Amino acid sequence: MNKGPWTLLKVTVAVIYLFILGPILITAAVAFNGTNRSFFPPRGFSLRWWGEAFAPQWVQPLMFSLELAALTAVIATAIGVPLAFAFQRYDFPGKTIVRTITLGPLILPTLVTGIALLQFLTVIGLGRWLGYWALLIGHVIICLPFSVRTIAISLQAMPGSVEQAAANLGAGPLSVLRYVTFPIIMPGIFAGMAFAFIHSFTDINMSLFIAKPGQRPVTVAIMSFLDFGFAPTLAALSILSLLIPLVLIAVLGRFVGIGNFLYQEQGRG
Amino acid sequence: MIVSSARPRPIVPFLLVALPAAFLLVFFVIPTAFLLSASFIESDGVIMTGVWTTQNYADLLSRPLYQQAILRTFGIGIAVGVVVIVLSYPLAYFLVRTTSPWRGFLIALSLSPLLASVIVRTYGWWVILNREGAINSGLLALGIIDQPLALLPSSMAITIGLSHALLPYGVLTIMASLNGLNPNVERAAMSLGAGRVRTFLTVTLPLTWPGIVGGFLLAFAIAISAYATPAILGGPGTQVMATLIRSFMVQALDWALGSAMGAILLISSIALLLLTSALGGRRA
Repeated sequence: MNKGPWTLLKVTVAVIYLFILGPILITAAVAFNGTNRSFFPPRGFSLRWWGEAFAPQWVQPLMFSLELAALTAVIATAIGVPLAFAFQRYDFPGKTIVRTITLGPLILPTLVTGIALLQFLTVIGLGRWLGYWALLIGHVIICLPFSVRTIAISLQAMPGSVEQAAANLGAGPLSVLRYVTFPIIMPGIFAGMAFAFIHSFTDINMSLFIAKPGQRPVTVAIMSFLDFGFAPTLAALSILSLLIPLVLIAVLGRFVGIGNFLYQEQGRG
Repeated sequence: MIVSSARPRPIVPFLLVALPAAFLLVFFVIPTAFLLSASFIESDGVIMTGVWTTQNYADLLSRPLYQQAILRTFGIGIAVGVVVIVLSYPLAYFLVRTTSPWRGFLIALSLSPLLASVIVRTYGWWVILNREGAINSGLLALGIIDQPLALLPSSMAITIGLSHALLPYGVLTIMASLNGLNPNVERAAMSLGAGRVRTFLTVTLPLTWPGIVGGFLLAFAIAISAYATPAILGGPGTQVMATLIRSFMVQALDWALGSAMGAILLISSIALLLLTSALGGRRA
């Protein structure tokens, strides 16, 4: 068989990978610049910018983002589990509507959800919630679809006969939940939590409108600093904020087969 | 003992969804509906006067600056959709068909940009495209140009940056549609004498058309509402709807125009996604 086209495809694919990874690798390289401008290739070598990325000015928003993402992930999971159960196991009046508004934030532009929340909180006189509380509410809304869908997928994948067997052997409904259902769907719950965390941690479109000085995630902090120029510190900071989700995925990947979930989660309707 | 499990049906799901549904109703559904109605209300800065009007939309659609921004947004959205498909099709085809032991790793690598904030991904493009950037220094060093090219800010730069950011969505959509293709159909074409290229063009490509359309519309829909990339790689001369919304809401404090622009964006996205499902493409 003619191998020509396949070789050509391989070369094309290599170029596309370069396109995908190039900008991220270049950002990493720029952070080692010896000068205070973002040159590529870097001129000179210095670790100064990495040190500056750990200045209080940047550690504060970074920690804020971590805390916000962690809390968002926990809340999104806590309300995602009952929602996923209801959608997967029950038929009830209004199911389609509840499902649509749960998954809606995934489909509607986050930016619009953000300005709607800004406007609504201000108009009803809760403008003082802008900052931490508004961010928490907004992030839970946009991250909830990720946890609900991932948990629903793992519930769907679980054979119903396992629960039936436990019930037949005399386990009450709560015991079945605790000793059978939850252990089986635990990887899905963790994967959903990880997706919610990452989605919150990398968000900018929602935070942009409802953050306030002193209470803003690292993405918004970087964005507003960009107006003053592209210092290599920002490159270092960007790479640091890329590493956090990467480490999370690697750790979870060791304990639960999260790679499968990444594919299913994104690929399914 | 008779423990009544006779009719607990409606109460259980109600208990499960009541609280989350109430939360979403208050903080998502009502604010979105409010935004839509605010776009039809006259307002003075952030204070709404309560007078119904369509003037906000008339303003947005009649002033050249706003018209251009809306047209530019859709132009960029279409260009991004095309670039995403052109780049993600070969990649998805390779990932589905390869027998390499590195397949899993390569799939993960192609999706890895999803883990990075769009800022990280855009920053690299700024470094590549700016006046003293990688492309200009390279071309200057080679003597191809003697003046740095103004690659930034431009709609082209925004298109490149967004295509890069949205590539994983194209890869996922097209991989899903290639995975759904029965390989026997291709084998049949080949055994009847069609070469690899002809099989691809006359069999594979038409059969994965829904995936292509789905990926295109998804990239289009996300691209038109993107903020960070146009803000970083564009400038005052390359405003898009998202950057205008930001300046209406935060700088000019003209919430009437901000709401109306938001409503246009909202309705465009919904229309694009309805179109996707009508055409049988996949949602993501």
